[in-house]
Parts: sequence; C-alpha cells; structure tokens
Amino acid sequence: MIRIRRLTHVYAGRGRQKARPALLHFNLHVAEGEFCVISGPNGSGKSTLFHILCGMLLPSAGSVTIGGYDLFRVPRMVRRITGVVFQSPAVDKYLSVGENMALYAALYGRSGKAVSLAEALEWTDLKNRLHQRVNTLSGGLARQLELAKCLLTRPTVLLLDEPTNGLDPASRRNFLHMLKSIQRERAMTVLMTTHIFSEAEEAHRVVIMKDGQLLACDTPSHLRSSMGREMVVVVPSDTASLARALKQDMNLNPLLFGEELRLENVGTTESLSLLETILSHYRSQIHSVAIKQAALEDVFIHLTGGHPAESPPCSHSDSRSLGEADERGPPLERETTEQ
Amino acid sequence: MITVRATIALAQREFTRFVRQPQRVIGSIGQPILFWLFLGTGFTGSFRPPGMEGISYIEFFYPGVLLMLLLFSSIFSSITVIEDRDQGFLQSVLVAPISRLVIVFGKILGGALIALTQAMLFLVLAPFLGLFLSPVGTAALELLLLLITALGFTALGFLCAWSMKSTAGFHAIMMVLLMPLWLLSGALFPIQHVPPWLRLVMETNPVTHALVLLRLPFYHTAEHLLNDRDFLASLWIVVIWVIVSIWLSVLRIEKREKGILYK
Repeated sequence: MIRIRRLTHVYAGRGRQKARPALLHFNLHVAEGEFCVISGPNGSGKSTLFHILCGMLLPSAGSVTIGGYDLFRVPRMVRRITGVVFQSPAVDKYLSVGENMALYAALYGRSGKAVSLAEALEWTDLKNRLHQRVNTLSGGLARQLELAKCLLTRPTVLLLDEPTNGLDPASRRNFLHMLKSIQRERAMTVLMTTHIFSEAEEAHRVVIMKDGQLLACDTPSHLRSSMGREMVVVVPSDTASLARALKQDMNLNPLLFGEELRLENVGTTESLSLLETILSHYRSQIHSVAIKQAALEDVFIHLTGGHPAESPPCSHSDSRSLGEADERGPPLERETTEQ
Repeated sequence: MITVRATIALAQREFTRFVRQPQRVIGSIGQPILFWLFLGTGFTGSFRPPGMEGISYIEFFYPGVLLMLLLFSSIFSSITVIEDRDQGFLQSVLVAPISRLVIVFGKILGGALIALTQAMLFLVLAPFLGLFLSPVGTAALELLLLLITALGFTALGFLCAWSMKSTAGFHAIMMVLLMPLWLLSGALFPIQHVPPWLRLVMETNPVTHALVLLRLPFYHTAEHLLNDRDFLASLWIVVIWVIVSIWLSVLRIEKREKGILYK
C-alpha cells in the first residue's frame, strides 16, 4: 500500500549552517491493512519522512507510491485516499465541531449532508458536542475531532504524526484504543510516528529509525525477542568503576545507559545466579539491581548503544536492521542524490 | 464540483470567523470612519483645489475612505493566513485533494466578501453627502467594482502574508507597501495638482485606477461609464492587477521546500 524506495532528503544549509541529511536511502513497504509505527529519537528523520509522505516536502531523491499512485507525479490522487493527522491541531478553533467536520468534508468534495456528521462522530466522545466551539474542547477531545475529521472521508491510508503529543496517559490510551479498533474494523493502512514505545506495542510492525536510516523493522515481539530472554539492570554508585570491575573480574560487557549498567541476553536461570554473584561481590557499590524482561524501549537502547544523550529513558527507539535487511540502502556513506 | 464546494467552504469559513471576532469588525470599520471624520472635517476649510470648488473635502475623501476600508479589511484577512499556518489549520487544507488555486481563491474570496460587506455598510452614509448611486444599475456596478478592488487588495495581502513568518513582519510590509499604495492613489489629494514625477508614480499605481472606478459611479450613470474609454482602461488595469496577484499567490503556495543534492 505504501512503498518507499531509497528516499533521501537533505536540508539545505543556511548561512554558516552546513547541509543536513535527514533521510538516507530509506526503504519501507507497508502492506494493505497494516498498522505500522515508526519510532526514533528526535532528529531521527521521522517528521521529515512524514512531511514527505503527506506531500508537503519534496525529497532530494527516492520514490514513494501510496495505493499504487506515485506521490510526486500524481499527488492529488494520493491525497484523495489519504487522511493525515498532524502533531499540532489542524482544526479551526473559532468553528464548532460540526462546522469543522463539514469544512473538511467540503475540501474532499463532499457535502455535510452526504456525510452524516453525527454518524462520523458516533465512535467518539463528541457525539453530543456538534455545536460546541473547538476552543472549548479538552486536548483529548480535540484530538478525537482531529481523527474523526480525517476518517470522515473514509481514507484507505491514514498517516499520523505523533498524534498523542500533549495528551495525558488516560487520553492517550483512549485515543490509541479508538484508532486501533477503527483500523481493524476498516482494514485501513496506518502509518504512525511516535517516540512513545508503549504506543508501538499495539502495532503490527515497528520501524526504528536513527540518523535518517532504518535500523530495525519487525513485529514488536520479534524485536523484543532479539534482545534475548532477560537482562540484569544494575544501578551502581559509580558506573565507570563497576563497569570496569565487571569486565576484569567476570569478563562481562555491560551496556551503559544513563545511570544504569545493563547485562543483556541472559537466560532465565543465569540471570538469577548473575544477580546473586553481582550482589555478593559488589553490594557496597550498588544502589539497586533487577532482572527485567526486554521491552521495545530496551531494544532501542540496545541498538543505539545506550548513549544517554540520545535516548531518554521513557521512550525513544533506534537500532540495527533486523527484519528488512534486504530493503536497506547502503549504510552511512553519503552519495550524490539524483533528482 | 469539488472545486466549487471547497472554494465556497473556505470563503464561508473566513466569513464565519470574521463575525465571531467582534474586535475585527470594530477595527476594520471603525478606523476608516474615524479617519474620514477627522481628516474630512479638518481639511474641509482649507481644501480648495482649482476646478473642484464645489466639492467639500469630506465628500472628496469619501471614495478614498471606501478604498481604505477595503485595504484594511484585506489586511486583516491576510493576517489570518499567518494565523492559519501558526495554528496548524493550513496543514489540513494543504493536504486536501484540491488545487492550489482553490485554496488561494477560497481564502481571497472570503476576505473580499468581508470587505464588500463593510463597504456596503459604509455606503449607507453616502446620501448624507449628497452622493447617490442611481439608477440601480449604477449601484450594482459600484458593488461589482468594490468586489473587484477587494479581490485585488486581498490577493496582494495574501501574497505578502504567505512569505511572512510572523504578524509583526506582515505589519512592516503593510506599512511600507500596502499603505503607500493607498496614500499614492489620489485618495487624500487630487492627482491633477501634484508634481509630474509623483503623478507618474500615482498613475502607475493600480490602486489609483481602483479609486477612479469607485469614485465615478457617484457622479455618472453605469451606462455612461461603460462607454467611457478612461473608465474602461482603469477597469482593465484593476482586473489585470487582480489576476496577476492571484496567479502569483498560486505560484507562491505551489512552491514546496525541496531537498538538495548531497555531495
């Protein structure tokens, strides 16, 4: 449904700023009816990719087809079948819920009568708020309106750019639940960017990006299993000295992430004995130690090498290609892009 | 059908937003009226240009204020382009399957209709000055000319606003470009009595021709004007100004940032 081939985008330098590559030979194929989540830290190229996919940015090179239409040759055909939910609100706050919906329908050539607005809001909490002004809605309801507006025209492809930004956890969960059930019901192809890992857990496939490249692309469970069964996470008083000690005394290579040292890919029985050994030898140097099941967040930390500056502990993703190695372009060498 | 429906929807949105912001209504109507009353009253005693002895300054200035009203209204409408972009609304319009012309024309038409409504309210004052638009054909012509001029101002405002990153930047452009166009239109002083260089500047200003179009129906019938070569020449100039402004606006919004070649 969405096919991205060798997509490269380089932002022109301004003044003394050098040209900055945001996407490098990015390849991805999202199948019809698939729910695919793209994750990565800030500056990984997610937003650039999203802006290219919704036709607001022209890439340096590469091709994109959506629903069989070439995005750069027939953008209007692509727009007809695509709904877009932006990170920031894209509704008119001076208009009511119903007026916003009717306006959006008109932009897609439909009248408010042809599309039943009340029916379109049936699945939301906005059912009885058709005449309420948007500037009086809560953040969660405004996001629901955003989604309802995009679904009004029954798109076959839905693009979402960090749609839960600024929402509280309950509203976020509610929004994702609605999105997921509609996606399933309509067999819609969904491509969503996020930097919140818990949002990626529900996806059919998760793409992890870093520095404009695809590092990993697989189902959430496969990504987690690539990390091994369990890991031992140690929070020492001095990470450097404990890391050195573990290397010298036990021939272990812990991964540094913030204040933590992580010993990955440990079996269930080994993890317990490892924990006991570490505690018995280094108890005085340790604040806490735990055995943990790998989560998507840990996949990200693993693949990015656990550099704290790039990976806030809550959510970012990154990694080395697991599932789509054949689709990847050449790695980080930079070449002249053809137009 | 999608083109018509989307254009009407975008224009209608402009109108709805306008009436829901009372401060905009007051600002765009109040300021020209105050200008007209204060300047018109102040200059009435000393305004005696040769050949125009029978006209008071408040009457002379009236079509100029009508023009100013269109200008101010279009400026306020154009500022919403920047607001729409800042508030994110523009994104959803740009990803809709409509041509860029529809986006530009919908926005401009909405702004022009707001200006026209304000101008019609101001026209109510004309009979108090002894200015009448009769017969009905002449009144209809005046309304049409007001709409065309409003389209020109709004399109020009749209073109300037699109490139602006902030409303403060747009205000600067307004003061150095849009206001001088009005000042040099003959709204404040007659073109006949200015130095030759200034007259040349004023004659090349399309807004001068718009003022001619707005002033003459108060003194001549539509039938007479449509046979007047000077009037028709001014009409052509204004129509060309409108078309060029809309065309440049479309070109401007069609332009998308493109990635560069990387070496």
